[in-house]
Amino acid sequence: MISNSGKRIKSLELWAAKIRRNVVDICMQRGGYAGQGVALADVGACIFFDEMRPDGDGWYHDRFINSNGHDTIINFAAMVEMGIYSMEELRTMGADGSPIDQSPIEGARGFEITSGSLGTGVSQAAGIALGERMKGSDKRIICLLSDGELHEGSVWEAFMFAAHYRLSNFVVIIDNNDLGATGKTSDVMTVEPVCEKMAAFGFKARQINGNSIPEILESFEEARNTKDQPYAMIANTKIFTGIKVYQDAIPFAHFVGANGRWDTGFLEWEPGWQEILGTIEGLENELAALG
Amino acid sequence: MMLLELKDREMVPSAFDDISFDLCTRRKDVIMMSADLAHYCDLYKVTKDLPSQYVEVGMAEQNQVGVAAGLAKTGFIPVTSTFGSYASRRCFDQMLICMGTSKNTGICLAFTPGISSPAPIHHQGTEDLGMLRAIPHATVIDPMDVTDFGQALDIACDTPGLVYMRGHRGTTPKWLDPASFKFKLGKTYPLRTGRGIGVISCGHASQWAVEASDILTDLGVDHSLLHVPTIKPVNEQEIIDYCFAHDEIVTVENHQISTGLGGLVSEITSKVGRAPRITRIGVPDSWAPGGSIGHIRKHFRLDPNGLAKRIAGVKA
Repeated sequence: MISNSGKRIKSLELWAAKIRRNVVDICMQRGGYAGQGVALADVGACIFFDEMRPDGDGWYHDRFINSNGHDTIINFAAMVEMGIYSMEELRTMGADGSPIDQSPIEGARGFEITSGSLGTGVSQAAGIALGERMKGSDKRIICLLSDGELHEGSVWEAFMFAAHYRLSNFVVIIDNNDLGATGKTSDVMTVEPVCEKMAAFGFKARQINGNSIPEILESFEEARNTKDQPYAMIANTKIFTGIKVYQDAIPFAHFVGANGRWDTGFLEWEPGWQEILGTIEGLENELAALG
Repeated sequence: MMLLELKDREMVPSAFDDISFDLCTRRKDVIMMSADLAHYCDLYKVTKDLPSQYVEVGMAEQNQVGVAAGLAKTGFIPVTSTFGSYASRRCFDQMLICMGTSKNTGICLAFTPGISSPAPIHHQGTEDLGMLRAIPHATVIDPMDVTDFGQALDIACDTPGLVYMRGHRGTTPKWLDPASFKFKLGKTYPLRTGRGIGVISCGHASQWAVEASDILTDLGVDHSLLHVPTIKPVNEQEIIDYCFAHDEIVTVENHQISTGLGGLVSEITSKVGRAPRITRIGVPDSWAPGGSIGHIRKHFRLDPNGLAKRIAGVKA
């Protein structure tokens, strides 16, 4: 058992804050999926900077499949910290002629699949999990999808498959933010009770606060200790968690425009930008104090 | 000639069972898959004798293609199998997104293609060649018999990206001579030489064209046959050279007459201009009936006599 030491958690909080900063930096240019990126920063930090084992060659032994193209902004934001992308590159996201896609295509640095067509990633991730097991590899496969993506029938085909083949190397994380493209998932098409459904489909399932790093770490540990069945982490998140002024201003946004106006009401970027820079500074000081 | 003499032609029972078993025996990286239709696609021996090279996904064709793409991302060569109607219509997004944008080989086999299913409409996929050839960089193959089916599947295993291939199930003709026929991606194959009417065909329809050709020969109608097993990427120059060597062109396909082989040949020749007239024969813009393949062919005048008359008729 890896201890959930204060330093480990504080380090991950700092990584999460940096992911949030990078997400906001990208979205301030031309807009983007800022709310999801900010809210998923804690999950992203735990995936990239704790759970996945390094391969010793600048990448990972384990494999992370982000099925929800909109959420791949956390991959980009994390990979900046690893030196795989530069912020200069990522600031071109969404610009004509930019090689940086909001939902990247397979082969883009750090991306295993073409995301963006919701519902197609989980099957691929399950196939990767089966393939790795068939090869005798101990790689673990993490797949992130969203609650809105649960509307797609193909994900349930993939869940059934993963449970039938007892893919214990397979972890599904559902970003349960009650947000679809045009409104609350619970209004558009109810998906709850997600945890019970996943359990009924044969997963070991746990619902957690997806913005609590200790809970995410505990859940990953439970996943690693789960035998003979896949694992589902239902991560309850709330849009823009981690940057209070945005959360108060935009409690609900699928896509935020460059000026903060597109389908969101009005948002000034600057106060949130200053808030996250302050958060990072505070966490760095706290971490330094821990020695 | 590549075409076996009538006396040497044979019918091979459950051809794909042997083709798949032979392939999996030779290549341990190949994984056969099914969406609960293995036995209906002649997949027996691999499922029983090579279980480590077989993955069943249940009646979930979209998941089959997605899982296959995942297996491909771990170094395996997945071969999905189902009926052509489901392979094309139900899984189109998965084929395009999960396999079509990947450099990894992913093979989707479409059995009972076109009107070769006795169950009307829902089990008949007569649009697939057009759908699939619209995907950039995809490979689309419609073999005519056991010989080119087996050879093409071998080549598919070494072809990057999405490979969509129509399959043959049940007792399948062996009309091409394995000694002289060598499948090459994109290559077109003259099966009978002649001038006058040039008949271009693919897949099952190449069998139909040969049957009609026997009648046309007896009637003294000057014609030739060109078998085009690769719909994409096809050798366009070979198509152009063939078309300009004839007075009339007829395309015959087990597919809608729009978007498939006839559409392909028309598009290629239109780039040059002044090509002979092209008469497209296949499934017209209507639903096919159910029933035996003989019945359905007769309905569309694709039976040997009906087809021969239509081909001869283009000269009238």
